[in-house]
Amino acid sequence: MSLLSVSHLSVKFRQRHGDDLVALQDVNFSLERGERLAIVGESGAGKSVLGYALVNLLMKPGYIAGGSVQLAGRELTTLSAKQWQGIRGQRIAMIFQDPMVTLNPVLSIGEQMVEAIRSHTRIARRDAKKLAIEKLAHVRISAPAQRFDQYPHELSGGMRQRVIIAIALLLSPDLIIADEPTTALDVTIQAEILGLLKQICEDSGVALILITHDFGVVSRIAERTLVMYAGRIVELGPTLEIINDPQHPYTQGLLNALPQMALPGQRLNQIQGNMPPLNEQPSGCAFHPRCPYAQEKCRQQAPKFIFSGVSSVACYAIEDMLQACAIDEDLD
Amino acid sequence: MTKPLVSIQALEKVYEGRSGWRWPRWWRRGASVPKSGQVFAINGVNLTIEQGETLCVVGETGCGKSTLARLIMGLETPDFGRITYLDERIDDLNDRQRMPYRQKIQMVFQNPFASLNPRMTVYQILREAIVLHHAHWSRQQVDHFIDELLSSVGLSKDAEDRYPHEFSGGQRQRISIARALSVEPELIVADEPLAALDVSVQAQVLNLMMDKQQELGLTYLFITHDLAVVEHFATRVAVMYLGRVCEIATREQLFTMPKHPYTQALLSSIPRLDRLALEPIHLTGEVPTPLEKPTGCSFCGRCPLVNQRCYEQVPTMQRQSDGSHVACHAVEEGRAWK
Repeated sequence: MSLLSVSHLSVKFRQRHGDDLVALQDVNFSLERGERLAIVGESGAGKSVLGYALVNLLMKPGYIAGGSVQLAGRELTTLSAKQWQGIRGQRIAMIFQDPMVTLNPVLSIGEQMVEAIRSHTRIARRDAKKLAIEKLAHVRISAPAQRFDQYPHELSGGMRQRVIIAIALLLSPDLIIADEPTTALDVTIQAEILGLLKQICEDSGVALILITHDFGVVSRIAERTLVMYAGRIVELGPTLEIINDPQHPYTQGLLNALPQMALPGQRLNQIQGNMPPLNEQPSGCAFHPRCPYAQEKCRQQAPKFIFSGVSSVACYAIEDMLQACAIDEDLD
Repeated sequence: MTKPLVSIQALEKVYEGRSGWRWPRWWRRGASVPKSGQVFAINGVNLTIEQGETLCVVGETGCGKSTLARLIMGLETPDFGRITYLDERIDDLNDRQRMPYRQKIQMVFQNPFASLNPRMTVYQILREAIVLHHAHWSRQQVDHFIDELLSSVGLSKDAEDRYPHEFSGGQRQRISIARALSVEPELIVADEPLAALDVSVQAQVLNLMMDKQQELGLTYLFITHDLAVVEHFATRVAVMYLGRVCEIATREQLFTMPKHPYTQALLSSIPRLDRLALEPIHLTGEVPTPLEKPTGCSFCGRCPLVNQRCYEQVPTMQRQSDGSHVACHAVEEGRAWK
């Protein structure tokens, strides 16, 4: 059984006037134990909403409108707030973008770590401290016993993010959801943190969902990649396949827009237009106003998610191509 | 060879640390007290910006690249050294003397949400600078100019009467660029103009900037930490580390053969799609603070090629055989990277 399976998940935001805004629509994917999955998309694509929905941290007026999320066979969407306490932090840990905002500035790192342990397990304060220092050493923080008593402002950005990772690891979770964990960091520090995350996942068999907008980061850490656009999954497949052979026109556009894809000094290949806001979702496939391959049926009905050899894509152009191939094979 | 547009010599900028307020003793209770001290933001920088080129300044947070931009803009005054603009010294001007340079040098800021006045319409934002620098223009002339300006950055005419909050991030950055172009500058200092934007929007803004450069012969000083953008966009690159420039090279030189150990580590740590196999060089050690002026090379705490001399002596810029400039004892002594 897979560790996490999400099926037909949809998230809506309640509005005072008019229909609710659809932030996520019909999201399906599953995650095996120890697997590293990246969720990629531009801002407003719904990738953070998806991350928050998985751990039931959606703020009002957001709510899960349908579908199911199962962690090792246990349905999560129907849990009460009390039951969630046993899951969040313990089975699923979350790492947020800005380490300065995540850590409490008036508590020492040690206090925060001990607090996290003791709110989930009955354990002596001394043992909790020992565990915390052990985890700090695990994330390669030098002199962990001294760092234990320091405050967040005394640490550098990279160090703070390491502390956050240590806190996430405290209760040996099955799954870590990292929402843009390296966006606030410099490239050299980013490389260190990504290396650390990858190693921890490999060593302790933790599954990782990494939310990011940077394909470079994805290529370094994730085994599978999920590309989102306007609240829907448009492509899901092995990272190398997606980067080397993107199928969906949006993924292609996104990768082509990277500066390294054009010759130096040449114009970059840009995708025309912008992502539609939630209240102006186009009919049919949400990408059709910007898509170079758009046809009539794209405007009318959203394409189904189909398997195309190595990755899964939601696109009529790919569907037609596959059908054409199938007919060719029949003729042969 | 033509004269450099801007040349910077031995520039230094020191910010005074916290002073005045002292924490009362009963409050301190042994906890760490913020130290007063000096922050050495720019620590002896020599740099030239040639006409028509795109000079990219790269470096990590806190290395002084934004301070450098602000010094060139005249938003800060240097503590030592000089900045000249085509032989005219511009670092010690008063407001009135600076006026012509405010027209010649314009800036595009990082955050298009904060750098546009939310209570002014786009028309007002653009008009403000034009009227100041072209006082003799008639109203029709100004209106006509603004129309042209907006269409040249890819915005429609009806954008004029709207407010910044009605635009997306990419469109706002277009407005910022239009505002910078409104006084027909020669040099545009862009401080991380793409950092707040999405990949596909980044491409649009970068394309716009390149088009404008070709069209108007602009010179760019482009500050960024995104090396993919640098590789695409730069003519020359200056790598900064902790208030000093450690390598200046053309784009080809820097990306094919980086020489300074910091540049090498930096290049290897960018996550790239075309070099998946390449393992990043992990730098050990903490990023030093600019609170103390380092006695030797500022990179010595993290450098894998360090030796005794690096701790004692500040390396100077040396011209290399291929024409790039590197400040590093290891390169000078030929202690090669393994």
